[in-house]
Amino acid sequence: MVKNITIFTTNTCAYCVMVKKYLSSKGFGYEEVNLDQNPERQAEAQNLSGALTVPVTVVTKEDDSQEVIVGFNLGRLAPAVS
Amino acid sequence: MSIKKDHEVIIIGAGPTALTAAIYTTREDIETLLFERGAIGGLAAVTDHIDNYPGFADGVDGLVLADQMRKQAERFGAVIELGEVTKIDAGKSSVKLETTSGDVTAKALLIATGSDYKKVGVPGEKEFFARGVHYCATCDGAFYRDKRLVVVGGGNSAVQEAVFLTRFASHIDLLVRGDHFRASDVLQEELKKHKDKITVHMNTTTDEIVGEDNKVVKVIGTDKLTGKKVDFPTDGVFVFVGLMPNTQFLKGCGLELDEIGFIKTDENLMTNLKGVFAAGDVRHGATMQIASATGEGATVALRIREYIEGHKVINE
Ligand SMILES: Cc1cc2nc3c(=O)[nH]c(=O)nc-3n(C[C@H](O)[C@H](O)[C@H](O)COP(=O)(O)OP(=O)(O)OC[C@H]3O[C@@H](n4cnc5c(N)ncnc54)[C@H](O)[C@@H]3O)c2cc1C
Repeated sequence: MVKNITIFTTNTCAYCVMVKKYLSSKGFGYEEVNLDQNPERQAEAQNLSGALTVPVTVVTKEDDSQEVIVGFNLGRLAPAVS
Repeated sequence: MSIKKDHEVIIIGAGPTALTAAIYTTREDIETLLFERGAIGGLAAVTDHIDNYPGFADGVDGLVLADQMRKQAERFGAVIELGEVTKIDAGKSSVKLETTSGDVTAKALLIATGSDYKKVGVPGEKEFFARGVHYCATCDGAFYRDKRLVVVGGGNSAVQEAVFLTRFASHIDLLVRGDHFRASDVLQEELKKHKDKITVHMNTTTDEIVGEDNKVVKVIGTDKLTGKKVDFPTDGVFVFVGLMPNTQFLKGCGLELDEIGFIKTDENLMTNLKGVFAAGDVRHGATMQIASATGEGATVALRIREYIEGHKVINE
């Protein structure tokens, strides 16, 4: 079971729109961290994903385990929230 | 995940070509399902600002245009499934598709899968993918605030994206292999306005992307005029060296491609396989513009309607 979801995004990122659209279509809420508005949180996204890219989606489960998905990767996003 | 199996029209992709075709088919009450594995709006959605699409006197942001096209198609009943088509098999009266959402069939299929960025093919490119080597400025540019960048390429995309990246980067070295730009004059003029931040290096090949401590630190190139190796210290590299058609999944299905992999079509935009059409950037001869993509989308939708009407008569 999903406890919460955080998505790191930027203003111009089309794949961020897709992650948000997918999660909304499945009825999930999420916290969005826009890195254009909060550049100080960039290092956090980078540490979580090991990459210099967005979207970074962090799915936290009820047991507090986390799954980090880089990009709009349905093959990983769909099972992570199922 | 399972979806309805049999459809009138299936479109692979949801870029400008596909969305326009879907506006036309669904407005004519032809049931239409689209598959999109990436961003709805395709490459138009990942473009920051579009200045040459008619109807927008001040230009339009790619994300806004993509969203408007999607809404317009959905208003008439188009359904966009987020998933990837992995195989097609054209039969006598329908086309079968294998997708990540299950197997489906269509009376007519439109392939509007566009193209993706080519790799430059040098050491370091794969190793630092998304960790210093990038292909999407609107996605990854924000990670380079006040940093140095190298942009590789001399066409429209390279110049447009280098200009976009000046809003983040402190300095950009633009490496152009040839002795002139392939980018349009308008974009070259735009480039000149940013000469405080962008240094152009013509006749310069990109040979290697070098990292230290898991970070990109420089690009090694060659000045073709002197034959000398040149180092470009940098924090990241954005590569825009052309596009490759998204047709790999069609290998072995009997569809005729050109030597690069673009799809060949007749004057009705139909491929050599019955009931299988192709339009937009993926088509051999396409002019790779949003306005032409939407034009081809409209044309192919009308041809598909004619095909389906003829198909009904044949099957009755
Ligand atoms: C950086 C850049 C800047 C540009 N700027 C401009 C500009 O200013 N003006 C202009 O007119 N044009 C511009 N273009 C060109 C323009 O974006 C394209 O011509 C246009 O998007 C082509 O539309 P399309 O629908 O044919 O293909 P695309 O936009 O490429 O869409 C194809 C879609 O198909 C999807 N797809 C592919 N394979 C599959 C599969 N197997 N299953 C499911 N989905 C699949 C892809 O994910 C993609 O979303 C630019 C292009 C780039 C790269």
